[in-house]
Amino acid sequence: MDPSSHPHLSIRVEDVHVRYRVVEDRGLKLSEVARRGFRSRGSSEVHALRGVSLDIGVGESVGILGRNGSGKSTLLRCIAGVQPLTSGRVLVRGRPQLLAVNAALDGRLSGRRNIYLGGLAMGLRRGEIDSHLDEIIEFAELRDAIDRPMRTYSSGMRARLAFSIATLSAPQILLIDEALAVGDRKFRRKSLERVRDMQRDAGTLIMVTHNLNEIRTSCQRAIWIHRGTVRADGEAGSVIDEYEATDE
Amino acid sequence: MNNAIAPDGGADATGLQDARAVDRLGPYLRATWERREWSWYVAASELRSRQVNSVLGNLWHLLNPLLQVGVFFLFFGLILQTDRGVDNFLGYLSIGIFVYLHSQKATLAGGKSMLQYRQLMQLISFPRALVPITSTMTEALAALSGYFVMVVVVVTTGETFTPAWLLVVPLFAVQVVFNAGLALITARAVHRVYDIQQVLPFVFRLGFYASGVLFNVNAYLEDNPLQVVFELNPLYCFIETYRGLLLDSNTVDTSLVITALIWSFAVFVVGMLWFRGAEDSYGSE
Repeated sequence: MDPSSHPHLSIRVEDVHVRYRVVEDRGLKLSEVARRGFRSRGSSEVHALRGVSLDIGVGESVGILGRNGSGKSTLLRCIAGVQPLTSGRVLVRGRPQLLAVNAALDGRLSGRRNIYLGGLAMGLRRGEIDSHLDEIIEFAELRDAIDRPMRTYSSGMRARLAFSIATLSAPQILLIDEALAVGDRKFRRKSLERVRDMQRDAGTLIMVTHNLNEIRTSCQRAIWIHRGTVRADGEAGSVIDEYEATDE
Repeated sequence: MNNAIAPDGGADATGLQDARAVDRLGPYLRATWERREWSWYVAASELRSRQVNSVLGNLWHLLNPLLQVGVFFLFFGLILQTDRGVDNFLGYLSIGIFVYLHSQKATLAGGKSMLQYRQLMQLISFPRALVPITSTMTEALAALSGYFVMVVVVVTTGETFTPAWLLVVPLFAVQVVFNAGLALITARAVHRVYDIQQVLPFVFRLGFYASGVLFNVNAYLEDNPLQVVFELNPLYCFIETYRGLLLDSNTVDTSLVITALIWSFAVFVVGMLWFRGAEDSYGSE
């Protein structure tokens, strides 16, 4: 298909394969050493995506579901542009942003410094963070703990902080990997609302989650990834029903 | 691998663009420059968190370099007496050690940074050159205390301040550019072949003796063809220029300054271009 025939296309994934080698943490048997020579450690190949093609339009909200290790998160990283592809290509309109800042944060430092670390990592300017600082602290409900080292936070506090930082920027394509399942019930409701607001501004939302209810309530469309391929793609309700009916 | 380096980030008529398109050099450098605040903040934070758990805290920034000089002075100044042809050996030694170790640490950190920030690269999209550049900034900040101790040693051993000392600041800046180039080259090399990290410390140990850190090259190699090896060694050029600025008995050798400048420019440009050549592959398992 010619992309120019889709003026409202937001994301196009074309026959994407992702394969990588991982070094195994085990010793080799003598016979294996003899066979492989000096490639001293065992390594195996992971074929995370095996030919995925998708079109996603502007304004769509899509849930990606599938079992652990099926390739959901890899697909999301491909769309975010952070995953090296083995073949195929991913086209996007505008800037995709993964709702993930954990990797940019440093547990040894205070919550306050981490707000800057995370915000700057997402491409915000220092001035922009300055003017939103109170708002972030308020939203994360961390007024009393903000100057403590982050490693002393409970996992819920840490997740709230990360979520509050991550949702500060306004991307055109919002990608969420299990980020909604954070904090207590009250915070979860608040964060779901925040994501809906962001989606209204962003236009396109893609979320990976094991929580099928989240997909049911937030997404029109669902894509089922199974062993690196698209197993089903369509209206959220029916794909979820199909997924739940299959027990493998 | 899909190495789409297309103009305008690969945008076609519909506004769709390749999610992994690597910017052309100009926009790439601009995007790197635009994220300088982040680089700076990460560098400062990293330095801050390194000393968080020690009893003496920031005092270690000063104690560590003093101990370094003390150990070397004990062996080479007092026991082996390699101070032939040097008036102020303690000052001479301090300059050699801190200038050399700064570049060594920055280069090794460039290699390590690719592993240290791998998770970040797997989640956030940004010009990957920022990773080794940020580690270079961290090491530059970390080295400042060593240079401070160096100046204190030089002053207390009787050198007199001249306005020429201020030229140490731009010289330091040039050295940081040189270090960034080395860090970029090392980062890509280590990304390809992880084992290089094991070899590098030995390369630097060799360089330590080939950079005139511990002895006056001219006093040992007068009219020896080996002298050329030293004069072409960028770290020797840096060390000798710092000495020329700070020590009364030394003078700045213009040809060494030019050699250092050429090296820094060349290493940085080559490092940037070479590192960017594999931009597409960083952050993989």
